[in-house]
Amino acid sequence: MKPPPLVQSSVRIFDLSLGQMLWSRRSVFLGVLLGGPVLLALALRIVSTLYEAGFRINGVRAAGASIFGMMIWLLYLRFIVPILGVFYGTALIADEVDDKTITYLFTRPIPRRAVLFGKFLAYLACTVLLVLPSVMLVFFLVVPTGGGSIGAAFPSLVGDFGMLIAGLAAYGAVFAFVGTRVKRPLIVGLVFSFGWEPTVLLLPGYLKRLTVAYYLQALVKHEMPQDSAVSVLMQVFREVPSVAASLVCLAAIVAGTLWLSGRAVENREYVLEQ
Amino acid sequence: MTTRTRYFVIVSLLVLGIGLGTGLVAYYVGFPAGAFAKHAGPEELGFIPRDATVIAFANVQEIMTSDVRQRLRSRLPLKEDGQRELQDRTGINLESDVDRVVACLHPDTTTTNMPGAGMILARGRFDEAKIEALMRDHGAHVEDYRSKRLIVGEFHEAQGNSFALSFMEPGLAVFGSTKLVRSAIDLHQAGDNPQAGLQSVVGNEELMDLVHALDTGNNAWAVGRFDALTSKAHLPDDLSTRLPAITWFSVSTHIDGGIRGVIRADARDEEAANNLRDVVRGFMALAKMQAGSRPEMQAMMQSLELGGAGKTVALSFDVPSQVFDAIGAIAGQKGIRPPVH
Repeated sequence: MKPPPLVQSSVRIFDLSLGQMLWSRRSVFLGVLLGGPVLLALALRIVSTLYEAGFRINGVRAAGASIFGMMIWLLYLRFIVPILGVFYGTALIADEVDDKTITYLFTRPIPRRAVLFGKFLAYLACTVLLVLPSVMLVFFLVVPTGGGSIGAAFPSLVGDFGMLIAGLAAYGAVFAFVGTRVKRPLIVGLVFSFGWEPTVLLLPGYLKRLTVAYYLQALVKHEMPQDSAVSVLMQVFREVPSVAASLVCLAAIVAGTLWLSGRAVENREYVLEQ
Repeated sequence: MTTRTRYFVIVSLLVLGIGLGTGLVAYYVGFPAGAFAKHAGPEELGFIPRDATVIAFANVQEIMTSDVRQRLRSRLPLKEDGQRELQDRTGINLESDVDRVVACLHPDTTTTNMPGAGMILARGRFDEAKIEALMRDHGAHVEDYRSKRLIVGEFHEAQGNSFALSFMEPGLAVFGSTKLVRSAIDLHQAGDNPQAGLQSVVGNEELMDLVHALDTGNNAWAVGRFDALTSKAHLPDDLSTRLPAITWFSVSTHIDGGIRGVIRADARDEEAANNLRDVVRGFMALAKMQAGSRPEMQAMMQSLELGGAGKTVALSFDVPSQVFDAIGAIAGQKGIRPPVH
């Protein structure tokens, strides 16, 4: 019997996995992670409405669009997107191995790589459907404060959406690869996201090209906040590739790591611990 | 896909769809000013174009009923020609009809007028029919603009300059250059619309930060770009090079029993600010010497305080009510009598 084609099989796995991902215990963590910025935005809005002085940074009244840009940089780009990639990406196959349920999927008459691709699509849909509404709420709560204009800031929001989707896809694909190859993928993922990437971005030279953040930061239109000495250093050694080059590199990262992950899943023999 | 997963996807897509739709409408059509949040300063700022060079505000009622004005009025023959001319041309009595005004200057490239085009937004009680009839008697005609009546008059017809008056909402009159009045109506009806190149001054963060500082505890203030004004002033080269390198200036006052306020200038750099401080210090010393023998003037001079840090130079002052009594006494000695009302 001929197995169903890859795309059809991936869609079946996607359908099965989306619900599992959304209603898992990990989603509580995801909810807290994405509810935080919304609550923070709500608090800023209340402060701005109640106190005429509004929200001030270093004694200067901060404009809503600037605060929103800062939240995109500090909360979403530097923290939420990488951490979602680490937690969900590394778990795509590792969870099935830990739960000893991978056998049920691999014994189906579908290509093994379809399991990974379907789960990756489910991860992307799950995170995009949660992250983008969270950013949308933050945008509408924060931007009008301090005399900001929704219309003027709207193009940057659309750009942010594109950047966040690209970031979630790239980090997810990289950590999916890590999840298929490494024994303790979560630790490797955390070290990569919060150790390797920030360190390398601070250094002059070519090493920063071996990060996802380097290409992702080129897609951000907001000013990089200078909230700490590290940020100032980052600003100094910041080397921004063109948007087109970044998009090509991110697409190559997603395609390359997914292909390698698919190959690993096809060839690797998973021995389940008894 | 289970039912609750489907519901989740639908709700999430709805939030995104509504948000993106609202953003698109805001971007292409604009929202009425204040649709999402209140900005600093009077709400009329939402109807002033973003690139205005000077903005001024006055709480007319507070100033007109202030002790200072009553003292001056009873002791000095104040000529109220401008006020009378406004009443003659538009039927608006500044003293009784107007609560507060916001004014602006705009760098109009089509005119050679020194400060550019101007506009006044006044809140108060206006007899619209009477004002329109009076303006028509003076040669004005009525136009329709975005379903608002625009009463347009001409001055300096050869130069094609025209002024207009419109009542944008009950109790809000806008008067000034026709072009500016039209843009105020656009902003009033649609709010900021960057796509159409229409943005209010509320989106100018630098200016609004100054406005916010001025709007607290003052009943009259003005803020503007000094460099934009001097560039339009056609000053002789040797004079313009000697002017201090000031970018922003602001004046804020509270007029009640006396007049207290702050004049603030933001210099281009710290060196320019230090130079400006030296000049002001020199003038202050000279003024204090001049005030020597007059105790009431001395009190005023003692109140002068030079402050500010970095690129900012601030001069605060407090003119006590005794100064106005002294001015009245001097006027009395010279035989100047107040007009009989």
